[in-house]
Amino acid sequence: MPHTTPQTPGLFSLSLSKTVEFALNQALRLDEAQGAAFKDFEDKTFAVTFTDLGLTLYLFFTSYGVNVQNALQGEADARIETDLPSLLGLRETGRLSRVTLHGDVPLAEALIDALTSIEIDWEEHLSHYTGDLIAFKVGHATRSAMAATQAAKRQAGETLKEYLQFELEVLPTASQLQRFGDSVQRTQAAVDAIETRVQALLDRL
Amino acid sequence: MNQSKKTIDFGFSEVPLEEKVKRVKGVFDSVAGKYDVMNDVMSLGIHRLWKRHTIELSGVRPGQTVLDLAGGTGDLTKAFAKRVGKSGRVVLADINESMVRVGRDRLINEGIAGNVEYTITNAEALAFPDNTFDLATIAFGLRNVTNKDKALAELYRVLKPGGQLMVLEFSKVTQPLLAKAYDFYSFNILPKMGKLIADDEASYQYLAESIRMHPDQDTLKQMMLDAGFDKADYLNMNEGIVALHRGWKY
Repeated sequence: MPHTTPQTPGLFSLSLSKTVEFALNQALRLDEAQGAAFKDFEDKTFAVTFTDLGLTLYLFFTSYGVNVQNALQGEADARIETDLPSLLGLRETGRLSRVTLHGDVPLAEALIDALTSIEIDWEEHLSHYTGDLIAFKVGHATRSAMAATQAAKRQAGETLKEYLQFELEVLPTASQLQRFGDSVQRTQAAVDAIETRVQALLDRL
Repeated sequence: MNQSKKTIDFGFSEVPLEEKVKRVKGVFDSVAGKYDVMNDVMSLGIHRLWKRHTIELSGVRPGQTVLDLAGGTGDLTKAFAKRVGKSGRVVLADINESMVRVGRDRLINEGIAGNVEYTITNAEALAFPDNTFDLATIAFGLRNVTNKDKALAELYRVLKPGGQLMVLEFSKVTQPLLAKAYDFYSFNILPKMGKLIADDEASYQYLAESIRMHPDQDTLKQMMLDAGFDKADYLNMNEGIVALHRGWKY
């Protein structure tokens, strides 16, 4: 069964998955209803993608509690796409402000309802990682910026090349260069042949 | 050649083939009680991160069947048991009875029961039918196996088609400067820590030597392919101090 996330999780995502797992399990232990809202999720799998971080965490529930990890064999039953500010605001707003659901949508909605029903101060749990989150975001932004710069440089190069080749016609294209090279070789061969013939004629004289 | 005259490495020493099993058993009988403490001290707790990495990369899901070979004191078994849930099953297998006892007592005390089985088994002759497991792991155990090729072939046999083997093991450090520091640590500090904490310098000297004798990353990957795995790759952790090899059976 192929993995849905073949890439290697970095330290940041490892740490985040562990934190989310801890926060959920702690909340379930402290929940007055003893996590009753989650009882229907046993053996169900969820993919939660944070679009702003480009990161997917996989959640699933067993009789031992909630498990969170960075990879999952096969497909999750339901997929939730949101962003970190929406999760951080869940406690106050009672809903994920930006969310897209895929797969078993009623199941995904039920999970969001269940998450809203328990007391989790995501901001507090994730505040330990605020520095890392910022660093991650900065790193991500830097990498994106570098990639964009490279792409822009490539694009600028292509544009300049096309301008010089086709607009001003001061630079030959690759195919023109190839044709020129071929012509030089053919001319060289013809010159060599003529030289040989001339030499043969001179030898007869 | 007569089987009894064949020799194999035991750390930096060469011992008769059948002698290695006994000696490895002796080492782990000796360290079993303090194995977890020593792992924490020796790796400064990083072994937990390596294992967490392995668990996360496994992509294990509820209902699956997992073999934790050389499972020892049950770190991975515990995590996998929580993940596969009651509809799944984890088998902690180890050749060393002392380690299995420590692991079983520890997991039961921590409330992990009902979906875990314990068995004493030789990695070279696994007592399971073909195509049994969705996932098999061997963490810090393969280097102690006498015939690694045979063990890898057995692991391939017991995996279901689509199943995955994960080998977490000390490996070859890729960064030259770190390699020197690591060598110094392994041969000068590690055995002394073993003496201090477990009162067993020789066993930890063996652990350091056995790490150096273990096949490097590319060699082990090729061994996995030779054993029948359809695909294999590896991931270095901490500059190759540890490598996680993965093999798939299709």
